[in-house]
Amino acid sequence: MRRKMISAILAATMVLSLTACGTSASDPTTAAKGNEAAASGSANELTVWCWDPAFNIYAMEEATKFYQKDHPDFKLNIVETPWADLQTKVTVAATSGNLDSLPDIILMQDHAFQKNVISYPDAFVDLTGSSISFGDFAPAKTAYSVVDGKNYGVPFDNGAAIAAYRMDVLGEAGYTTDDLTDITWSRYLEIGKDVLAKTGKPLLSCLAGESDLIVMMLQSAGGSFFDENGQPMMAGNDKLKAVMEIYTELVKNGVLVEVNSWDQYVGTITNSMVAGTINGCWIMATIQTSEDQTGQWRITNMPKLEGVSDATNYSNQGGSSWAITSNCKNVELATDFFAKTFAGSVEFYETILPKSGALATYLPAGDSSVYSEPQSFYGDVPVFEMITEFAGKIPSSNTGVYFYEARDAIGTANTNVVAGADIDSEIKTAEDTVRFTMGQ
Amino acid sequence: MNRAGKKLSLGQKQNLAGWAFLTPAALLIVVMSFFPMIQAFVLSFKTGIGNRMTWTGITNYVRMFQDQVFMQALKNNFLYLMIQVPIMLIVALVLASLLNNKNLRLKGVFRTAIFLPCATSLVSYAVIFRSLFAVDGLINVLLINMGIFNTGYNFLGHPFSARVVLILTLVWRWTGYNMVFYLSGLQNIEYSVYEAAKIDGASPWQSFWKITIPLLRPTILLTAIMSTNGTLQLFDESVNLTNGGPANATITMSHYIYNVSFKYVSNFGYAAAMSYLILILVAVLAFVQMKVGDKRD
Repeated sequence: MRRKMISAILAATMVLSLTACGTSASDPTTAAKGNEAAASGSANELTVWCWDPAFNIYAMEEATKFYQKDHPDFKLNIVETPWADLQTKVTVAATSGNLDSLPDIILMQDHAFQKNVISYPDAFVDLTGSSISFGDFAPAKTAYSVVDGKNYGVPFDNGAAIAAYRMDVLGEAGYTTDDLTDITWSRYLEIGKDVLAKTGKPLLSCLAGESDLIVMMLQSAGGSFFDENGQPMMAGNDKLKAVMEIYTELVKNGVLVEVNSWDQYVGTITNSMVAGTINGCWIMATIQTSEDQTGQWRITNMPKLEGVSDATNYSNQGGSSWAITSNCKNVELATDFFAKTFAGSVEFYETILPKSGALATYLPAGDSSVYSEPQSFYGDVPVFEMITEFAGKIPSSNTGVYFYEARDAIGTANTNVVAGADIDSEIKTAEDTVRFTMGQ
Repeated sequence: MNRAGKKLSLGQKQNLAGWAFLTPAALLIVVMSFFPMIQAFVLSFKTGIGNRMTWTGITNYVRMFQDQVFMQALKNNFLYLMIQVPIMLIVALVLASLLNNKNLRLKGVFRTAIFLPCATSLVSYAVIFRSLFAVDGLINVLLINMGIFNTGYNFLGHPFSARVVLILTLVWRWTGYNMVFYLSGLQNIEYSVYEAAKIDGASPWQSFWKITIPLLRPTILLTAIMSTNGTLQLFDESVNLTNGGPANATITMSHYIYNVSFKYVSNFGYAAAMSYLILILVAVLAFVQMKVGDKRD
């Protein structure tokens, strides 16, 4: 009898613990489902999915406060959703034909815009001709969310490419930031070798196998993976070849060090393992997390390609725009919200800038005095003004629908070229891979 | 006495009760598992972007074999299968027979310690191994301190070492799992058999080969099939440890299927076709293994 009691109690405990972990496992999902109120029903409420509490979510919260000054019953539900998850959810919802699970507004990476709008044209609202004045935004940025001449996104954060350098390390090797402004990549390589020899620190780090740096360098000369008809133009693209050759030289000479994961990349910056970095200006938030390096970083523009046409010192990396999904029941409210805040209020941009470093592509905001305030982290230089100026000079590039395929294929080709393979055959293989994926 | 209505016999009633209990579960499996499988099969004969799919017959299946990246992923999967599964099963077997020793103290501690890795989350352990093998990670620091290397070696940046690291992490994780199966199988072998062998003068090696392995045959077959299944469907390590590896050196088929479905322009028909190829491969290999291993008839 006692044995039966004990075994019964044990069995009950096991069942209880199973249900407990069953609920706790599903709790986040049920809680999330509760929060993920898909397009809100009430007339003055909107739901938005985006990522990054310090940046995008903060901006949305401030925008809400702004809009509530004139529309006190307005409510915005913000659900934090990482980009990879967001892309999966949009894909699943749009493919199943049931858009009910989507919110009113989503944030979308600029280079995924073409792919998403072309694959799922019914999932997004055409914003051309609405109260949002797209002309006030940097043209290169707006171009990302334009499909077939129609605007589908409200441009948001600035991904203008910057080169950030540790002036103390450069100073040790006898250089200043001016020596690295408006230069070419071969000069960068020279200086990089010198800095490495004198201080032991590479000038640059990036993720191995990812094409971010390549895309940035390509766009600085107005190059793209695809032409206007959406056909891949990699083999025979002299800009792409030049970019990959420089990349290989940088790695071979130790000026560029490749790491395996994003945390390692951040580590190279915060642990002073590199003397600088080249990335979208959103990297400043990461740089600024190391308070012990205050006053030691300087910002300037990136080097330009040589031997190719239209080479500039400006480019773009990342950045996202807001899109309104077709599940939104109150498109008027959403467009008005954007027109009064993100696409209409210089004061809004002034508010969000100091705390989040959230640089906008809204050109009128660039004239504001807040943007021209010296930033102590960067040696009392008005960097925001500088970067907004950069943003206006970025050459447009054609992302194309198959951007991610191209990105991966070139990343593979690049890894092989660095390991010693022939550059022309690798580029050809990459193009064949992309053509294959495109169904040709 | 015959009655007007047909009365069920006791046996029939029990049968009916059995079926009644089975029906809800069976219905659930059919709706949740089999029906989607059939839908996926139908999907594999279509192609198209997003939700605009059209019928295309077996072109997806033909296309698979012209896809260089998929072929590389297939090769990678088979590489892991050929190398990692035998190593893991042999190590698990050896550990199980070591830990089956009656006179060993702290058996519970050892068994728990070896089993613990498979209780960890797939993503966390892959991320931790990735940082362990980083250029400035713990492994490199140790190797430099021991004087074997001068500077950190980029394990995950070279194809060969990336594969070795992946196989190592898989062995670390799954050996304990298979060891538990072997331990339970070993419990079924009577100790008197070993005693008799010892009396006859058999060495431990001989008793291992002639007694343990033949008697463990069903368990070995089970673990071999499960490991084959798991290795061919490998996903988490490819994504979190190496992200497909330097230039697709470690990418697995499931990782590529995920890319085709969600990262690239979605081609769900093609993804479904590739998934069915994995199913066919697993089924064929399981069948072969059963033919070889199962001597019941």
